[in-house]
Amino acid sequence: MKEQFTARMLRVHFGEDDRWHGKPLHEAILSKCMELGIAEAVVFRGIEGYGSASRIRHATHWPLSKDAPIQMSIIDTVEQIGKLTPWLDSMVEEGLVAASAVEVIRYSQKQ
Amino acid sequence: MLQPGKAVKVTIYLSDGATHHGAPLYSSILDFLFYRGVAGATVTKGIAGFGADHHMHAAHVVEISDRLPIKIEFIESREKVESLLGKLEELAGSGLIEMQETTVAKPAQPSKPNTPLTPEHLKIEGKAQMMRIFVSEEDRWKSKPLHEALVEAMRANDLAGVTVYRGILGYGAHRRLHKDKPLVSSHHGSIMLSAIDTADKLRAFLPIVDQMVAEGLVVFSDVDIVKYAYRALETEKETAPITPIQN
Repeated sequence: MKEQFTARMLRVHFGEDDRWHGKPLHEAILSKCMELGIAEAVVFRGIEGYGSASRIRHATHWPLSKDAPIQMSIIDTVEQIGKLTPWLDSMVEEGLVAASAVEVIRYSQKQ
Repeated sequence: MLQPGKAVKVTIYLSDGATHHGAPLYSSILDFLFYRGVAGATVTKGIAGFGADHHMHAAHVVEISDRLPIKIEFIESREKVESLLGKLEELAGSGLIEMQETTVAKPAQPSKPNTPLTPEHLKIEGKAQMMRIFVSEEDRWKSKPLHEALVEAMRANDLAGVTVYRGILGYGAHRRLHKDKPLVSSHHGSIMLSAIDTADKLRAFLPIVDQMVAEGLVVFSDVDIVKYAYRALETEKETAPITPIQN
């Protein structure tokens, strides 16, 4: 099945050692996305970077070092993303959330 | 490029422990000099010394001091030095900056003559689109990993470029939603391919995506290309033969 629609993409940037209620922040956000039924959410680990805290984050000693930059790409309709953003406001203490308008084609094998 | 004749030698004295935005201060200063096009710079580490605070810092056998003196030296024309001085003073913080008149007898030559590899860089500027394709790492197309097949297909269709990213966690159209086991371990990776080209070329490639991707998400967004430069094929001929793409 192929559907095409206009959507919104969020890219959320923070650090791998950031936590929310004791849980890694990226897992917490991913769970929240699933709970809200967001269409697509993927977590990427960068190999080097710096951000709002001006710390240079490295993943060179991976897997020993957990201080790698994390980028999450989250994609769904404007309404669905609107449900998520208040949560991101409270969950991401230090980081960056960028939004862009996108056009999406979804391929699925649903009956 | 440094010319023979009058020049200024600048010496900056720092303590090794000093940091700037989390990185060693000397490397921040070195980066600053490098990207501002200074002809050359050298960092040396002292074995002992003292500074304005009159604390003696030395490397002992049992204890390696992290506060050893560090010296950064570079030689440049007076105009260049003056253009850098403001920022250098800010960066050096409590460190000492010394300048002295010097004479360049013979400037250093770049080890390789700086002949450009390509006389012309193709430069596309302006509106383009970014196509991101989200699939699963286990997805296959004709027995090869789907993301590899997509990269080959994009190359064969002359798309300007593509980069493949492996996610560490994720779910989506390409993956059945496991409600009882929500976070699938990382070896069942999410893959994102990110390709940038003109809208027309990406649209022309879509029928191929239709054929190859059974489950997944394709996301288009508008981007501005600021720079696109590539090495022309003629210069590559000497180095490596181009392997044809097998389909």
